[in-house]
Amino acid sequence: MDFSVIGNNLSYFLLGAWPNGPLGGAALTVILSAISAIASGVLGFVLGVALAMTQGVTHRVLLGCLAFFRAIPVIMLIFWTYFLLPILFDLNVPGTGTVVVALSLIGGAYLAHSVYAGIRSLPPGQWQAGAALGMRRWQILRLVILPQALPIMVPSFINQWIALIKDTSLAYVIGVGELSFVATQVSNREMVFPTEIFLFVGGLYFTFCASLEWLANTAARRYTGRPSLS
Amino acid sequence: MEIYSPLFGELLAPKYLNWLIQGFAVTLVVSALSCLVATGLGFVLCLGRIARSRLIAWPVRSYLSLFRNTPLLVQLFFWYFGASALLPDTLRDWLNTPHGWDLMLFGLRWPPFEYIAGFVGLTLYTSAFIAEEFRAGVRGVPVGQVDAAAALGMNRLQIWCHIVMPQAVRIALPPLLGQYMNAIKNSSMTMAIGLAELSYASRQVETETFKTFQAFGIATLLYIAVIIVIELLGHRFQVRQLALRPGR
Repeated sequence: MDFSVIGNNLSYFLLGAWPNGPLGGAALTVILSAISAIASGVLGFVLGVALAMTQGVTHRVLLGCLAFFRAIPVIMLIFWTYFLLPILFDLNVPGTGTVVVALSLIGGAYLAHSVYAGIRSLPPGQWQAGAALGMRRWQILRLVILPQALPIMVPSFINQWIALIKDTSLAYVIGVGELSFVATQVSNREMVFPTEIFLFVGGLYFTFCASLEWLANTAARRYTGRPSLS
Repeated sequence: MEIYSPLFGELLAPKYLNWLIQGFAVTLVVSALSCLVATGLGFVLCLGRIARSRLIAWPVRSYLSLFRNTPLLVQLFFWYFGASALLPDTLRDWLNTPHGWDLMLFGLRWPPFEYIAGFVGLTLYTSAFIAEEFRAGVRGVPVGQVDAAAALGMNRLQIWCHIVMPQAVRIALPPLLGQYMNAIKNSSMTMAIGLAELSYASRQVETETFKTFQAFGIATLLYIAVIIVIELLGHRFQVRQLALRPGR
């Protein structure tokens, strides 16, 4: 084992070609994760509430759309967005944008179900009590249901974001210069130290994900009184 | 408009359809083998994780944490590029040279190295998730069951085999099917190390024919079809479970 290859390329691993070129490496991974985490969180929340407030055909169409995004591999969705976004919007979408859109859609589809499950986990008596007080459905949702349901959802949000950090590595397939892409670049250039390079890069991802997992467990203990199972 | 003609052009030539079907077969075989081995490994890991001895529990804990908290893609790169550099030369040469066995009618060929790395990576990654599903199943068995069995004079092994495990496996089955679906979807990542599965084939067809819509469309439909089949199997199992439950 010879880890000098890491030291020699450290700034390339962490920042890519920046400041002389585009930002890449671990920094780009963090940025991609952060933007997709926010977008998927908002999307998941809106769709989850929509699932809870709709009935009949609308509800089933929504469920069908979400099922589609949950059924296909992330790579396939990245291919689709890579191919369809420029056609739909008639402009050149950079690779990073493509990845953010794909990851937000997938993350949003999974989170919508968590939000929906969180809302449904409350006893129906809560809705009835609100109605008895003369509140409208949206008022009940905002004032009675969500304040109780949101804490329950926190662990599943964090767990989804962990999956999201790992999925940013798939930006590799369309040549976005994030951490895994940079790792293969260095590995191909140096030729001799693949083991050290991928151990180091794996370690970086592990640091990101494990600290979030610790946060998820802490949150789960705090909000539900027991550690999360996942 | 030049760009729209590949969108709604004629169907793919049989040759390219064949590529996609072969890729689909590879996806199914690799995922099925991985799931099979990962289930066994995940069960053993679960036993280790809940073992009372810290000497066993802590290494297993680190294994689970490491494999669950790093991207499968990086793990695949590690097995493909990194681990082969660690192997002794003779073993590496042996793995890289084709071997054949003739088993009666079937000729069994030794797969290329990317298949081995892909299988190992996918299996180890999936096993870590399956172990946690089993553990959740064990925790889902009420403590009263264990107490009751102990009161009946069963020893720990008997309690485990006759009381805890059958119930734990039943609880873990639906999430286990979810992990199998994940394994099928995750097998798409092996395209990055050159394993010619469905996603790889769809990209291959796309670059050769420029019929993006058909190539990705067929691959997407095939993925959805497998997921639906597993979903239906799970549903049938749950219906049967409800019917079997006493007192209903």
